[in-house]
Amino acid sequence: MTALAERNPTVKAGLLLAVSLATVVLLDPVTLAALYLAGVAVARFGAGVRGRALLLAQVPFWSFALGVLAVNALSRPGTVLLDSPVRVTQEGLVVGLGLALRGLVIGALTVAFLASTPPRALMVSLTQHARLSPRYAYALLAGHRMLAGLPRHWADVRAAQAVRAPLRRDGTPRTGVAALGRAAFALLVHQVRASERVALALESRGLSDRPRTLWRPVPLDRRDALLAVGVVVAVAAVVVAGVLVAPLLPPWLRV
Amino acid sequence: MRADPAPDPLDVRGLEVVLPSGAGVGPVDLALAPGEEVLLLGPSGAGKSTLLHALHGAVPQVLPADVTGCVRVAGRTVGTTRGADGSWAGAAVADLADAVGVLAQDPETGVCLPHAAEEVAFPLENVGVPPHVIGPAVAAALDATGAGHLAGRRTDALSGGELQRVALAAALAPGPALLLLDEPTSMLDGAGVTAVRAALATARTASGAACVLVEHRLDDLAGEDGLAGLPARWVVLDRGGRVRYDGPARDLPAARARELVALGCWLPHDVEETALLGPDGDLPAHAARIAPAARRVLRDGDALVAAGLAVGPPPAPVLRDVDLVLRRGEVVALVGPNGSGKSTLLTCLARLAPPRAGTVTGPRAGFVPQRPDAGWTRVTVRAEVAAGLPRGPGTDARVAAALDRFDLTPLAGQHPHRLSVGEQRRLGLAAALVHDRAHLLADEPTAGLDRHGTTTTLRALAAAAAEGRGVLLSSHDLRAVATCADRVLVVADGRVLADLDPLALLRDDVLLAAARLRVPPLLRRVAAAVHDAAHLRGALTALDDLALGLAGDLAGAGGADDVRHAEEPVGSTGPGSVAVAR
Repeated sequence: MTALAERNPTVKAGLLLAVSLATVVLLDPVTLAALYLAGVAVARFGAGVRGRALLLAQVPFWSFALGVLAVNALSRPGTVLLDSPVRVTQEGLVVGLGLALRGLVIGALTVAFLASTPPRALMVSLTQHARLSPRYAYALLAGHRMLAGLPRHWADVRAAQAVRAPLRRDGTPRTGVAALGRAAFALLVHQVRASERVALALESRGLSDRPRTLWRPVPLDRRDALLAVGVVVAVAAVVVAGVLVAPLLPPWLRV
Repeated sequence: MRADPAPDPLDVRGLEVVLPSGAGVGPVDLALAPGEEVLLLGPSGAGKSTLLHALHGAVPQVLPADVTGCVRVAGRTVGTTRGADGSWAGAAVADLADAVGVLAQDPETGVCLPHAAEEVAFPLENVGVPPHVIGPAVAAALDATGAGHLAGRRTDALSGGELQRVALAAALAPGPALLLLDEPTSMLDGAGVTAVRAALATARTASGAACVLVEHRLDDLAGEDGLAGLPARWVVLDRGGRVRYDGPARDLPAARARELVALGCWLPHDVEETALLGPDGDLPAHAARIAPAARRVLRDGDALVAAGLAVGPPPAPVLRDVDLVLRRGEVVALVGPNGSGKSTLLTCLARLAPPRAGTVTGPRAGFVPQRPDAGWTRVTVRAEVAAGLPRGPGTDARVAAALDRFDLTPLAGQHPHRLSVGEQRRLGLAAALVHDRAHLLADEPTAGLDRHGTTTTLRALAAAAAEGRGVLLSSHDLRAVATCADRVLVVADGRVLADLDPLALLRDDVLLAAARLRVPPLLRRVAAAVHDAAHLRGALTALDDLALGLAGDLAGAGGADDVRHAEEPVGSTGPGSVAVAR
């Protein structure tokens, strides 16, 4: 078990939210880059996400970051760094870099959070420590289980379409775009029907708003407090260092 | 005042349910003593599941319906009507979790949480059991259902049979006074059925709970024990949802047994034998008198050929070195234990998954998956049959003919998902056969079907072969295999162990053991009396003819009224016990 996996999910979720909010007031690329590197280190060493998995998990965030960077660099007015073949401004580049890094910081920490938090622990902890109603928590958990079955159901629907599709001259099935839409609708119908049965199963097992006991509660102790204090101090230190270092930076890197 | 401190687990008085569709069940009066078991029987669509749902309030609290009468579970009145403030007048479904354990048909949606042990602990937490008691209770419940080894497993990695055992453990864990079991094996494959049946047998006796069991595959459930292997009390519903019989199974008159066969129920082998052949009937002698089935005519050309096939996801193929030829006009069955790669082989032969090695040549085959409902993409039965065909009057005529052939014309305008299991299977076959491919591959086409549904399906497959198609079906039901197949491919341990005729398989104990196949008692007796496979097929077909004949008699004798009015409200049509109209 990794260091982060032993920590309380509600505390981790709170810290993820707090750091994400803190980055919203930051635009300085150097500070944000430092936070991003710290976030990747947390994912790698705190949550044990290694190599390829760590890279793949961040692909969506990198794609988003690249988009944000490009849009800002190309569209923001300011000192022109490059005029041909496209116009790139210094302000656009720096602001874009800051915004992109914001997304990456949140992304890396989210990867660390998800990799170190089993869904059951998160939901149980939220009912224990954040007063989430068990009705919602366990319904979400059941929904999460259903999500895992989606790819298989999609394959079933597509296979059923393929075996009845008209054949081309070479004997292979011909399925069009309309079939994709139909498959998506079929999947939706299937999920709605399945969720009705799951809801009944949850209720039959006694899920309600009444007080319930908890077999394996999720612990919340001093080490979680230490984690919270540690993260706040670390982020504050990086931000303060960023402010102190700012005057030393080359002018083109300043916002 | 009663002196007995423990109230009856179940006390139902004058219960009538009418669903929004107009179908319904009742009136029902049913009282169960502690530990008493009831088998609820009836044809598809009789309202058995609806009645079970009504016993713990799911009807009408979750599934809307008009309910009259009174249901009391362990002394508590179940809420069937709303009070002035909109809340249920009586216990809600969730309030009864400590008194009622429920096991539903579908294993996928009967288990809700990511880990098996948490699933079993969940109802205990909900009813407020102290945490230190929960661990031992979870272990005991899992052990009672033969699922102790699954405690630490993730539920998304479990098979259907394993999921049902975990769900059964969760139903048993709170120590309920009443167990409601709704065809718990109808969606499972062979191995799952065997495992869950064993678990049910142990759990029913160990828990001491009263039990209402809905099941129509009674021959399997009873096994070698025959009638003695089943709950002693039977309640029989007719097609209209009325109670036809409520009493000891042993006292079931022969006429009622015949009626059950006529309604499509699978009966324990001893009861079926008496029902079909009369009290003095001699099955082996009867079988020996039957003429062999006609030999099938094989057609040349367009064979489906697999050579050196290896199938299955990485790392190691589940099945390898498969060489097979499916000729037009023959019926071939694929049998083998759970996980031996039967379904994977069929999807590969249907060109839905590429082989790991080897080739599949020949025309593209039609395919009916194990759960045809997973693939419905249209909103009416008619449109579903027409899916993939070009538009035009020619197609309309073909679709109409296919609907008619599978008795689906009255359902043509319905949504495919609203059909019963048997109707879904018929639709799957109609939708596959309308395409007129040279071969038909069917994955467990008779699983979960009642007796008539099974006969209809097997005869449709035989007819498809007679029309010149090659038919390859997988099945765990050796009786179905022996009724329709010319050849049997036995797969186990990663390869094809044998390719032989059904009778040779039934007489090869070593092979049966290797493929973990169980021969039902009735089939064994018939097999011992015949001299070749065609004779076996003829004898089994003759038994099916007798069963269908009884259905015809029932319809002719006035039972047809029930059939015709099955979709109408049945609330006020008759008293609780209707005399058999014979």
